[in-house]
Amino acid sequence: MELSVYTIQLVQDLMVVGLAPFLSGAISHMEARLQGRRGPRILQPYYDLAKLFSKETLVPEQASWVFLAAPVVAFTCYLIVPLLIPELTTFGLPLGYMGDILGGAFFLALAAFSISVAAAETGGPYAQLGSSRAMTFAALIEPTILFVTFVVAIITTTDLPYAEAATARASLGQAVRPSHILAAFAFFLAVLSDTARIPVETHSSTLEFGMIDEARTLEHSGAAMALLKWGSAMKQVILYVLLINVFAAPWGLSSTRDASSVLLAIPIFFGKALGVGFLFALIDNSFSKLRLFKITEFMAAAFLLSVLAILILYVGHA
Amino acid sequence: MGPALLAVSTLAAPPAFSGVADAIALLVVLAEFAMLRSALARTQVRLYAFQSLCVVGLAVLLAALRHVPEAYAVAGISFLIKVVVIPAVVLRLLAGVETEVAGSERLKVASMTLIALAVAAFGLFILEAVPVTSTLPVAALGLAMAAVLVAFLLVILRADVVSQAIGFFALENGVSVASLVLASRLPLLAEVTFFFDLLVAVVFFGVLVRVHHGRTGTLSTEVLDRLRG
Repeated sequence: MELSVYTIQLVQDLMVVGLAPFLSGAISHMEARLQGRRGPRILQPYYDLAKLFSKETLVPEQASWVFLAAPVVAFTCYLIVPLLIPELTTFGLPLGYMGDILGGAFFLALAAFSISVAAAETGGPYAQLGSSRAMTFAALIEPTILFVTFVVAIITTTDLPYAEAATARASLGQAVRPSHILAAFAFFLAVLSDTARIPVETHSSTLEFGMIDEARTLEHSGAAMALLKWGSAMKQVILYVLLINVFAAPWGLSSTRDASSVLLAIPIFFGKALGVGFLFALIDNSFSKLRLFKITEFMAAAFLLSVLAILILYVGHA
Repeated sequence: MGPALLAVSTLAAPPAFSGVADAIALLVVLAEFAMLRSALARTQVRLYAFQSLCVVGLAVLLAALRHVPEAYAVAGISFLIKVVVIPAVVLRLLAGVETEVAGSERLKVASMTLIALAVAAFGLFILEAVPVTSTLPVAALGLAMAAVLVAFLLVILRADVVSQAIGFFALENGVSVASLVLASRLPLLAEVTFFFDLLVAVVFFGVLVRVHHGRTGTLSTEVLDRLRG
């Protein structure tokens, strides 16, 4: 049975919405096992979301409508980005050409911005601290994302994620060309930073002074908090899709509209995502969190890789 | 509506040989960037051993692809001297010495990285301006130049004797990459002369490190601020 391209597009979004908490739960479970703990159930994030949706939403006295609108705006942004990136198919879907990599990055930035604005207007010191830090580090990692986009643009003459994935699949030479590997590694570091992972942030910490992203949502509760948590899990899936299906391993996607082939791409993607998640859990267990003022070194390393990628591409076409 | 096809013109991937040579040269440069920020002298020595191993890998690759039997000998001698002997000798010299060299950076790490990046870019662009018209991997040659310049920066920006010695050795690795890429058929005798030079430098730096540490009790060169007759 052949699916229409619009149905596939819908399936992509549903996959991100429906399975994002599963991926978060599975990674937390792996992390706990690596630390010798029993860990939470894999489905725990679903129970957490259900609990939060049934709770009352409280709004700080000083906060305006922005505080309540921000989680909805962020969640909507995380619903739009999956339309632009290759999740299940090798061929571009109709809405996939609405925006390029930068378009996707703008939506992710808009989500981060709205959450930060909401945090800033709560008046809570830790939320404001997190908001300020998140914006600072987002600005520092942004050049890396830009240079990775430039690499894609120079290699494919477009900056469409579908085109880069197709190029990497086209030949082994393209997949292992030094600039592609460097860009992939730089993007990997950016994903580590954007998903609040060690060495940038301890995502499971309850120590406010070390928090960056996590601190921004401290004042939220109830359904708003549920949307933020769900959105955060979706953002993780989106970044994994970009890392895996565009740079690191763009294989295993469906090249036809056949229903079985499209649906098979879902477990294949999650298999690869669990592999990346395992790697992240290993990094979490092997390294310590960097001191706040040392995070710039991490960002500098990511920037270095992306700039070197551009240089060797520009000078030696490597 | 059928699947939308992508019609983009992609930049051709480099040939396999160039791609691998470029990747190895890149690792040589990246090892130097790691040396710039490493906090322990033994980490620097290990990074140097890794960097040398990359050079050995490049020599083996060239020997196999260009059918140069001498390059196998160069690879073997390189492995023995740069991967085994020099790191072992330097680590031996540092035995019993406090090897913490953190804090010897003259600038902050992020600033050093950015300056090193600018210097590496300068090296790459210089080589691009040289009209080399052959099948040589141009990027590898440029990266060798970048490795030499970043090694200079390592010597300048880290104020401790170990970093300065390792910087000099790493510089030699950059030159090795350039000579391998440009002239893999260089006579074995010439290569052996280079290795002899390197060994002399190791002994010289070894004596320097011991004497300096013996006199000042530190590896830092910041204390060398007076000229005595």
